[in-house]
Amino acid sequence: MDPVTIDTTKIRMTKRKPETALEKLEDTNLINTLLAAKDREGFILLTTIDQAMNWGRLSSLWPVTSGLACCAIEMMAVSMAHHDIARFGMEVFRASPRQADLMFVAGTVTKRMAPRVKQLYEMMSEPKWVISVGSCANTGGPYHESYCVLKGVDNIIPVDVYIPGCPPRPEAWLYGIIQLREKIKNEGYGAKWGLNK
Amino acid sequence: MNSAEELKYLLPNSVVSVGVQTNKPQAVIRKEDFLKVAEKVKELGYDNLSVITGVDRVDRIEVIYNLFSYKKKQNLALKVVLDHRSPEVDSVTSIWKVADWLERETYDLVGVKFNGHPDLKRILLPEGWIGHPLRKDYDMNTEQFVTIGEDGEDIVSPDGSNLLRRK
Amino acid sequence: METETLLLNMGPVHPSTHGVLRFKLRMDGEIIRDCQIVVGYLHRGTEKFGEMKTYLQFIPYTDRLDYIAAMPNNYAYVKAVEELAGIEVPQRAEYIRVLVMELNRVINHLVFMGSLLLDLGASTMIMYGFRERENALQLYESLCGARMTFNYIRPGGVREDLPDGFIPKLNEFIKDMEKRIVDYEELVNGNEIFLMRMKNIGVINAEEAINYGMTGPSMRGSGVDHDIRKLEPYSIYQDLDFKACMRREGDSYARYLVRVDEIRESLHILKQIVDKLPKGNTINQRYGFAPNTGAPSAVTSYFPRIFTPAEGEVYSRIEAPKGELGFFVASDGTTKPYRVKIRSPSFCNLVALPKMVLGLKIPDLIAAFGTIDIVLGDVDR
Repeated sequence: MDPVTIDTTKIRMTKRKPETALEKLEDTNLINTLLAAKDREGFILLTTIDQAMNWGRLSSLWPVTSGLACCAIEMMAVSMAHHDIARFGMEVFRASPRQADLMFVAGTVTKRMAPRVKQLYEMMSEPKWVISVGSCANTGGPYHESYCVLKGVDNIIPVDVYIPGCPPRPEAWLYGIIQLREKIKNEGYGAKWGLNK
Repeated sequence: MNSAEELKYLLPNSVVSVGVQTNKPQAVIRKEDFLKVAEKVKELGYDNLSVITGVDRVDRIEVIYNLFSYKKKQNLALKVVLDHRSPEVDSVTSIWKVADWLERETYDLVGVKFNGHPDLKRILLPEGWIGHPLRKDYDMNTEQFVTIGEDGEDIVSPDGSNLLRRK
Repeated sequence: METETLLLNMGPVHPSTHGVLRFKLRMDGEIIRDCQIVVGYLHRGTEKFGEMKTYLQFIPYTDRLDYIAAMPNNYAYVKAVEELAGIEVPQRAEYIRVLVMELNRVINHLVFMGSLLLDLGASTMIMYGFRERENALQLYESLCGARMTFNYIRPGGVREDLPDGFIPKLNEFIKDMEKRIVDYEELVNGNEIFLMRMKNIGVINAEEAINYGMTGPSMRGSGVDHDIRKLEPYSIYQDLDFKACMRREGDSYARYLVRVDEIRESLHILKQIVDKLPKGNTINQRYGFAPNTGAPSAVTSYFPRIFTPAEGEVYSRIEAPKGELGFFVASDGTTKPYRVKIRSPSFCNLVALPKMVLGLKIPDLIAAFGTIDIVLGDVDR
């Protein structure tokens, strides 16, 4: 492809004092470059960085090993030869949350385990995503009426993707992972302004 | 003569009555003599304590011990009937080591106190949990939350504001 | 030299604790001086659900106790209810029940071998184990539509008859598995590192094993030849030819070998069942009834959703893959059980672990713990 240069004369300068958050953003040079990029249909380094970063993030999600209950066995099944989560660059299950950027909440979150799950989530470094797997983690599931089960893990940590099932089949896991990849693909400023197309 | 009747014959004063637990012989024991009876039962060859069950019968609490003898290939169930307000019975930890956890579990969920247990504390629920869930009068509507203290141990409180996300 | 002891926490989130288990260790350098086990991080109140649900509604909850081998849980509970209510079971249903339970024992021991080797740092075996497990799970899927949580066995029989083509597929699995098990033994058993990690580690003698309430393969590794399938034969086990696998050493390696032998025995039992499988009903017709709502003809018999056994108490136990699994069910003559108590093998086997690991190092704790083969859903219920 041809190298592209930015024609600075085309950059729109804001005159009045910025008020809203978007205007403040526009006040920086970054936004102007981005806007210029929009006019030139991509091919500009900054939009591709956004895309490249998202691509990098979604292609090597490293989950933290935090199996709680029944779904953890299906998590093992997903990562084994037959279903092979390695196709998504995710076979590296990390024992330490500090090296991971994805958490499968796989199983029943009991009242006693809830603060530990929350702590685990807080120990993960940004950017981080959570997939809630199985009815128990989604809503409490069959144990909704129990005296010692948390009614949904989204009560304590934000969740990106919910996978239903008790336990979900490995195919459902893979579908949930694909959904998360779609979500990550559309993160960042570039996607918000339609530059990542 | 089944195993419960044999026990009744050996210890007539301690065994209140003899019956069946569906297809297993069962002896009801006076709670004061329970440790003595348990020692005797172990001598008779009942080396496997399968399970300790606490049952809340509203006006009383029953504790049922299911035993098995690998030598004689016989079953025996022992039952002790306890007062509902202060259920207390002697611990058999010194006789069967497995009773350690089984008694802690019965204490945790049913609220039976085992005298002489080396370390009688909750096992499945965290320390400080209010109530014993398998009692019939346990309040299922009150939520209790657990947080971690400075030393890593559990703290139970009815207030979950530290734990729950603000919505 | 006297050194200060160090308190070390392991878990509840730790890759080698098979879920959410916590060890509190007091270490003298590398040596374990004291080991406390903290359980209860997966306590879901299953026993309370026994009191809240009807007899049939509770069956799915038993699936989620020992989720690696769920079929024996189903059966143990149903057996207790059957004994309580005095329900007869047709012969074909009994054969199908033993078939699915023994298949589950194979799955359980495959997962055991895989996760044990993974804990010890070898990741090939878990790949192999799960590959074979996947084949067995496909059989289960064709049978009842579920991979792990089956909800298949009913009082008075089983939910559905075997589907078409089940037996040929099962034969294929058995044939395949018999070849594979030789491969696994070649891969694992003679491995020098494996032997050093396993031999003379976590030794417990027969008397202690019984006193500490160990059951199942863990106990039979200590030279106790007790198997509930032999002691109190239930279902059709008295008609089958098998032996209770046993080793004398009492160390981790013996417990491992017992389980490998049990896979062979289970396959042997499966072959006998395939030969003997009788024709007939799969549920007791006295209780089963044909729905008149135009349901598909394959589903011809149901167990009534609500039934009331007479007042009484029962404790019934079976030989689950992990040990003695017992259900105490008390009825007060209503539609719901008055009390359900679960005697889980994992919970009781775990009591002996602190005794076994005193004076060993932390990697040995992992090896000894792996060979006890627990599942946290079964421990905490």
